[in-house]
Amino acid sequence: MRYLVIIVGAVLVNNFVLNRFLGCCPFLGVSKKTETALGMSGAVVFVMTMASAVTWCLDRFLLAPLGLGYIHTLAFILVIASLVQFIDIAMKRFMPPLHAALGIFLPLITTNCAVLGVAELNTKNGTPFFESVLFSFAAALGFGFALVLFSGIREKLAHADPPRCFRGVAIALVTAGLLSLAFMGFSGLVKTPY
Amino acid sequence: MNAILIATLVIAAVGAAAALALAIADKYLSVKEDPRIGLVTAALPGANCGGCGFAGCDGYARALVAGNAANGACAPGGPAVAAEIAKILGVEATATERRVALVKCCGTRSEALRVGDYNGICDCASAAATAGGDKGCRYGCLGYGACANVCPKHAIRVEDGLAIVDKRLCIGCGKCVSACPRRLIELVPASATIHVLCANPLKGPEVTKVCGVGCIGCHLCEKNSGGKEANHFTFDGFLAKVNYSNPPEDVTVVAKCPRKCIREDAHFETGA
Amino acid sequence: MKTVKSPFQFPGGVHPRYNKDLTEEKPIVDLPLPTTLAISMGQHLGAPAKCLVKPGDHVGLGQLIGEKSGFISANVHASASGTVKAVEKRPGPTGNLADAVILETDQDQTDTSAFMPPLDWEKASREELLARVEAAGICGMGGAGFPTSVKLNPPPDKHCEYLILNGAECEPYLTADCRMMMEHADRIRRGVETMRRILGGPAVRIAIENNKPAAIAAMEKAFADASGDVEIVVLPTLYPQGSEKHQIYATVGRVVPDGALPIAVGCVVENVGTAAAIADAVDSGMPLVRRVTTVSGDGIVEPKNVRAPVGTSYADLAAFCGGERGNVRKVISGGPMMGFTVPSLAIATTKTTSGLLFLTDASVFQYSSNPCIGCGRCLRACPMGLDPSAISCAVEAGDVADAEARGVMNCIECGACSFGCPAYRSITHFCRRAKISIRARLAAEKAKAAKKG
Repeated sequence: MRYLVIIVGAVLVNNFVLNRFLGCCPFLGVSKKTETALGMSGAVVFVMTMASAVTWCLDRFLLAPLGLGYIHTLAFILVIASLVQFIDIAMKRFMPPLHAALGIFLPLITTNCAVLGVAELNTKNGTPFFESVLFSFAAALGFGFALVLFSGIREKLAHADPPRCFRGVAIALVTAGLLSLAFMGFSGLVKTPY
Repeated sequence: MNAILIATLVIAAVGAAAALALAIADKYLSVKEDPRIGLVTAALPGANCGGCGFAGCDGYARALVAGNAANGACAPGGPAVAAEIAKILGVEATATERRVALVKCCGTRSEALRVGDYNGICDCASAAATAGGDKGCRYGCLGYGACANVCPKHAIRVEDGLAIVDKRLCIGCGKCVSACPRRLIELVPASATIHVLCANPLKGPEVTKVCGVGCIGCHLCEKNSGGKEANHFTFDGFLAKVNYSNPPEDVTVVAKCPRKCIREDAHFETGA
Repeated sequence: MKTVKSPFQFPGGVHPRYNKDLTEEKPIVDLPLPTTLAISMGQHLGAPAKCLVKPGDHVGLGQLIGEKSGFISANVHASASGTVKAVEKRPGPTGNLADAVILETDQDQTDTSAFMPPLDWEKASREELLARVEAAGICGMGGAGFPTSVKLNPPPDKHCEYLILNGAECEPYLTADCRMMMEHADRIRRGVETMRRILGGPAVRIAIENNKPAAIAAMEKAFADASGDVEIVVLPTLYPQGSEKHQIYATVGRVVPDGALPIAVGCVVENVGTAAAIADAVDSGMPLVRRVTTVSGDGIVEPKNVRAPVGTSYADLAAFCGGERGNVRKVISGGPMMGFTVPSLAIATTKTTSGLLFLTDASVFQYSSNPCIGCGRCLRACPMGLDPSAISCAVEAGDVADAEARGVMNCIECGACSFGCPAYRSITHFCRRAKISIRARLAAEKAKAAKKG
């Protein structure tokens, strides 16, 4: 039951991109087409889950015993960056069309505050391993959910005819704001433990 | 002191482990890409206009390196870029002259006959598909701007129902040529300044019925530019055409045309 | 033989005002022979016929003047005896140019020596009957002009289970088929029996809309003693009931797959006029040289159902019907939903001209297209189940690939979407525009592949 609450909380109530405003850059950058949005969501799910697993272990077994808890941000960034680089190489080898479609945004996940954010949140909450990984997985699902929703709207927006000053990213940002407002409707749906 | 040392060592160790993992991954999983692709992409103008026939400059670069494309297809890049690419690929460069688009019609709404009110979407192909178009002349410019909409440099404007190309902005990518449903646009050498702006090959009386400035094939332009031997003009039916490999230089041929369908370049740039 | 109500109804469709009362009650009248005829070589679907005559030749009524060239093509015959004045390119109702034989007609039209010998439809062999249909140049007279001999000769792996006779005539104003059924039901019956023999005895379904009770009664009488599985199916009055794919669904409940022909589901659909023409070709050896056209609208003095030789100019038809009246803003060849606006009356009728409408200011209006308001009326109206609003927005934004992905190539251009749009969007026009781009791209790809291979 607690796990279900964590999932619902991370996906809807405290959606990482629409409520916590983390990871807005890839959100706006890769949401033009639904196929790339789905691909990106998959990549983020993989990175976030793996990253949180590795950083949790790093924190628990290396940093905490040595009393180096204060340096966790630096260590996490190092791990996340290498992990994403590894995924970049692997994707170029095994999934070239998706790699070409994501382009610049794959290494962008490195400086993505959402990935670091979820790792930091896990450290702050001090949850056990499984719960931390589940929280990250749910957070990534929430990110993907918002991304795919937004890409659907953007595909339709591409065929619309807004005033010149709103064309392109401007109308997309306005729409993102409206979507965020809509997601506020979920607040209070469940009482999240954190 | 001790704490700082331990912290530095730990971070260094984590970094080293990550670097090692990445090095191994790079060795076994990386995809070897021809370095020339990057060089050619950098040499290309980066307009991504698609005029070469490929999706973008990167697409053309890949095709060039793979040997699937001919050098010199990049019109915006012109001979300078072609020469540089030839150097990168280690092949001979061929000289190409800058070409610009020309709409071969001067029948504005005021001069050309309209046979009906077209009340459909503002697009030339749609107008042409509706009863053959609302212009009396079946060969002339419909003026709904299909060419202007597709031009990546906004070099085409539509004035009084006629499309006009601004030579200074045109990069010669050829998108307008395929957009025109009447195949009215031609890529001509940028150095040529005298043009016949008509595409109607029908007999004189047929042309005058539908247009006040259409070519009637009177051959006066040929006579006034040195005759047949000078070979400045060729004729397709009753339509005069400038011979662009040997274009006329004397501008008096413009004034001597009784139909006023031979124009000089200045007309396109200032809209005069 | 029994009369049944249509067992299925296709989704969508619209109910335009029909205005058939202008000509419903008017019997078919023959046009007095015009002095000049312009008979087009390209009036059927497929390759234009090859012209066999030259200026100065004299031709007899029903003489072959254009030979079919290719598998999908049809013969063209002289609609009157006369002298060939010229063979020149003339525009058809769509604006496309095709070679036309300009004929100056004789006073005396009684010589029928050019006709083919009559055949007994009950005794002649299937091959003889099929050859007769081909020789007579018969093509779909409902408007598409598909060569009938090709339709009636399906490939060996396809078997025809249902012969569906299209008497729906769903377009507003048009009553030619209705009058044909009321006045020539026996000829239609003979045509149907001939087609049945050619196709190997399929079941027959005669589809008529329920706004034509007199036609239904006449057809019931004519087919009362027909043997075998023959049914008259009364369809609800709904546009586009006459569309081939929708008629098949409404009568026998089968769905023709995307991009396939009706024979893929064992059906052959033919117009009632085509059936009557087949009867003529078999009984008296007369090829397809005349047809009934409804001249109607509020811009013509006397709306009529006129039987005229193929190649009659629209001007002659208008003159026969009393000429134009009022401020005629639009002249349409065909029906107002899928017909073609013509810029002049110098165009000639073809084997498929079912109507000629003269519409004044009171019946037409000019509009400017507005952005889509997302009301969904077009979605409800589309009989093919497409999303016209999304397609039109995509094409307007220049994204033809998206339109193609949404199935615009399945669009039958019926006009039901544009009909109901409250924002006056030219939706059908956008669909047509997308199809032009897609066809051009496919042709270019085909040419490229042919060059490579």
